[in-house]
Amino acid sequence: MKQQKKSRTYLDIVKRQFARNKLALYSLHVIYVLLFIFIFADFLANDKPLIMKYKGEYYAPVLREYGVEMFGMQWQDEFKTQQWKLLASKFEEGDWAVWPVVPFGPNDYDLKRKLMPPNSTHLCGTDELGRDVLSQLIHGSRVSLLVGFVAVAIYVTIGMILGALAGFYGGWVDVIIQRLIEVMITFPRMFLIITIVAVVQTQSIINIMIILGLTGWTGVARFTRGEFLKVKNEDYVTAAKALGFSDFRTIFRHVLPNTLTPVLVTATFGVAAAILIESGLSFLGFGAPPEQATWGSLLSSARDMLPSGWWLTTFPGLAIFITVTVYNLVGEGLRDALDPRLKQ
Amino acid sequence: MKRSILIQLSILLALILLTNLVDTKSRANYEEILGQAGGVKVDLTGDVKIFNSSPTHETPRKGGTLIKAESAEPENLNYYTSTSAAAKRFLDYIYESLINYDYTTWEYNRPVLAQHYEISEDKKTYTFHLHKNITWHDGKPLTSEDVLFSLKAIMNPYVDDAPLRAYYRNVVEARTPDKYTFIVRTSDTYFLNLEYMGGFAILPKHQWDPNGMMDRFDVQDLKDPQVFNNESDIKEWADQFNTNPLNRPAGMDAGKLIGSGPYKFHRWITGEYMMLVRNENYWNKEKPHISGFTEEPGYLDTIIVKSISDATAMLTALKAGDVDFLPRMRAIQYFEQTNTPDFLEKFQKVTFVVPAYSYVGWNNDKPYFQDKRVRQAMTMLIDRNAYNKYIGYDLGIPTIGPFYPFSPQYNDTIPRWPYDPDRAVELLDEAGWIDHDGDGIRDKDGVPFKFIFSVSAGSRGSKLLALMMKEDLQKIGIVVGIRQLEWSVYVENLRDRQFDCVMLLWIGGLQADPYQIWHSDNIGNRGSNYIGFRNAEADSLIIAARYEMNPVRRDSMYWRFQEILHEEQPYTFMFYQRDPGAYDRVFQDVKWIPIRPGYNNVSWWRRVSSGANVGMAP
Repeated sequence: MKQQKKSRTYLDIVKRQFARNKLALYSLHVIYVLLFIFIFADFLANDKPLIMKYKGEYYAPVLREYGVEMFGMQWQDEFKTQQWKLLASKFEEGDWAVWPVVPFGPNDYDLKRKLMPPNSTHLCGTDELGRDVLSQLIHGSRVSLLVGFVAVAIYVTIGMILGALAGFYGGWVDVIIQRLIEVMITFPRMFLIITIVAVVQTQSIINIMIILGLTGWTGVARFTRGEFLKVKNEDYVTAAKALGFSDFRTIFRHVLPNTLTPVLVTATFGVAAAILIESGLSFLGFGAPPEQATWGSLLSSARDMLPSGWWLTTFPGLAIFITVTVYNLVGEGLRDALDPRLKQ
Repeated sequence: MKRSILIQLSILLALILLTNLVDTKSRANYEEILGQAGGVKVDLTGDVKIFNSSPTHETPRKGGTLIKAESAEPENLNYYTSTSAAAKRFLDYIYESLINYDYTTWEYNRPVLAQHYEISEDKKTYTFHLHKNITWHDGKPLTSEDVLFSLKAIMNPYVDDAPLRAYYRNVVEARTPDKYTFIVRTSDTYFLNLEYMGGFAILPKHQWDPNGMMDRFDVQDLKDPQVFNNESDIKEWADQFNTNPLNRPAGMDAGKLIGSGPYKFHRWITGEYMMLVRNENYWNKEKPHISGFTEEPGYLDTIIVKSISDATAMLTALKAGDVDFLPRMRAIQYFEQTNTPDFLEKFQKVTFVVPAYSYVGWNNDKPYFQDKRVRQAMTMLIDRNAYNKYIGYDLGIPTIGPFYPFSPQYNDTIPRWPYDPDRAVELLDEAGWIDHDGDGIRDKDGVPFKFIFSVSAGSRGSKLLALMMKEDLQKIGIVVGIRQLEWSVYVENLRDRQFDCVMLLWIGGLQADPYQIWHSDNIGNRGSNYIGFRNAEADSLIIAARYEMNPVRRDSMYWRFQEILHEEQPYTFMFYQRDPGAYDRVFQDVKWIPIRPGYNNVSWWRRVSSGANVGMAP
């Protein structure tokens, strides 16, 4: 009996609360799948074989590509021309290759196969250059999720620091930071972003991530400030001060961890919002460079094809829809689970 | 907040599903698609100089409205300072010139405002005798004073019309011995002199210079820095001209542009439409108005140019009956989205040649494109035919040089460079672009073969070509980066020669003078030879041809010039353009011509609608 009454940690409670919300739980699983695609995109959709035996030797071209791009390795001479499509015709007896599930690269074009509706070879059809839409979706997920995470990481960091300073010190620090926040939120965010993108000129997703990060911190800062105001007169804060800890240590070691939960919830919603904004920017042609497939740019190039080519709008649209929805649902589930008033 | 996002997304999803319902039939084979568009292909080769896609034996009816849709709206409506083609297309119905194209021979010698003209023995003095009954739209007479004023406006060094003014540098004297005679003398025998001396639009002096500020200056004064720097009136008048509110006569109460042409300016509502109404008091009632083309100077009561920037919206407007004529559709719309019997019954589809060609320009001063062998290799690496067929729906007309392919200037004996990647690789090796350091990228003298393909943000075709090249060239060890730029920035970079490779369109005429684009004088100083083509023989041919009055001898020089261009490949010449369009079948005598924009609405007339629409004619 006593062992069964083992005290539960806060994390356990949250987990149990979260698991009650079936929708959020399923959404979390979808996020796991998205993360899997995000990490293993190159192994899921690629025009190179995963592993193969060619003229008696074993090769792993996909892994090799990482070597070439990151560590300055070289392609073997016979693969320098990158004619992977012709490889099968050059196979001798005993040679074999394992291809990825989607055996097309995102930029792998074939004009003769342009604008094919979904079929057994191209599950999501092809675009106007004959590129496989599914492969572009898989690689596009990288951009979308990366933008979501990095942008949010940037603005959560900025927002937490500024919010913490404002909440902890109060006084003129608070006044300055609050005015800063007010100035920031008077600008419509989308216009601000478009203006900055236009000024910066060079197109890259890194710029988009930084810009999203630099413009999105106000909400987090306000949340953190509020939490700090709530917490800063608690006994343990007074204790920390009495022990002579530096302000830095008090803020970041003692107070901040206790204000994290609401911030995490906003961050989850923030990822969804950032993905949506990135898609919007790419749709308008301000986002990623042309050779980089993103969900938004896929939609944008499909727009000109309307009303033909329904698969060009449907699948990227669905991808955005599902991703943004699951992040929102998980965020909602997390918020409910963390809320002690709802505890059962 | 998040709820509203969810709701928005649900709406998005619903819309996507809805659009799917519109088009659920499976796609036909591509070869079939190219063949089944069901339109008319305007062919202006051989003896056919005008193509009528809606011929009829009926007597043309006066009346009715034509509404056409265009994607770009002009930034201003000043004939001399506006750089937009949309403005010229519109203003050509309002203003007239002394002479214009003859619509049967396509030579620039049909008298319009001039009753007749004489060219002196030495081909330097041009005397134009004006009709005596010409009136402006406000009833005032048009005289040689207006002609002289217009020439002075063009030549005023402070007017923002530098590209146009360049063609009038050779004017040494212009005078008006009487009200109906205009004499202009040039210093040289440039072969396009008649086209420029008689071809500028005449603006009414009483509207643009009511106080006669320019009266006391002659054309020499406008070329003499001593005079135009010291006479403040010249600059003051030019400033007034450049900033005159009449340049943007937008809105309901804006002033009206006055011309002499068959249509009068009526109204311009920015972002919506521009409107012309027929000039009932048109001075030129002579029949036929343009020989071989139209009897009357316009049958339609009103011509409206609607501004619709989105191609999909444009087609929707046509189908809904809000627009009668789309001069420029997307190829995919023409070939794949307008093949229903309903559409074909109501609308006539046409593809017609416009005098413009697309090309890929290589900056000849960049290390990788200095060697002509590399440029030849680049040409052979672009699968132009596949590009034309699959991206352009086979609309382009292959070209090897900068001249109009159906003119005697065009050298049709030169075969196109084939698509031959293997030969291209050999040429690159020969030129010394070999992967010396073994990093998978070709290099020479330590410069890796990495270049940037600049793409203008609105241009879909060049973006797709850039993507294709990036994939293809990567396989032979050349790295292509793609940079998308806004048009204004794009043009700036072009003029400053800050680019590696661009894809663009040159819009030309039936007779071209290659001096502006190909002579080495025009490298730098923001000249049009921005790719930096230098060739001594080409330079001397260009100059000699300019002053050669014998057309046969001149064309033989241009044929040699094209051989040089072909060998040097400063550009990869892509295609002469063919635009797909569609119009309501209610219009008759819809004629297509080889000069831009490819049609002239004065020949069109609107039949009284029959059948279900009886009694509903506008």
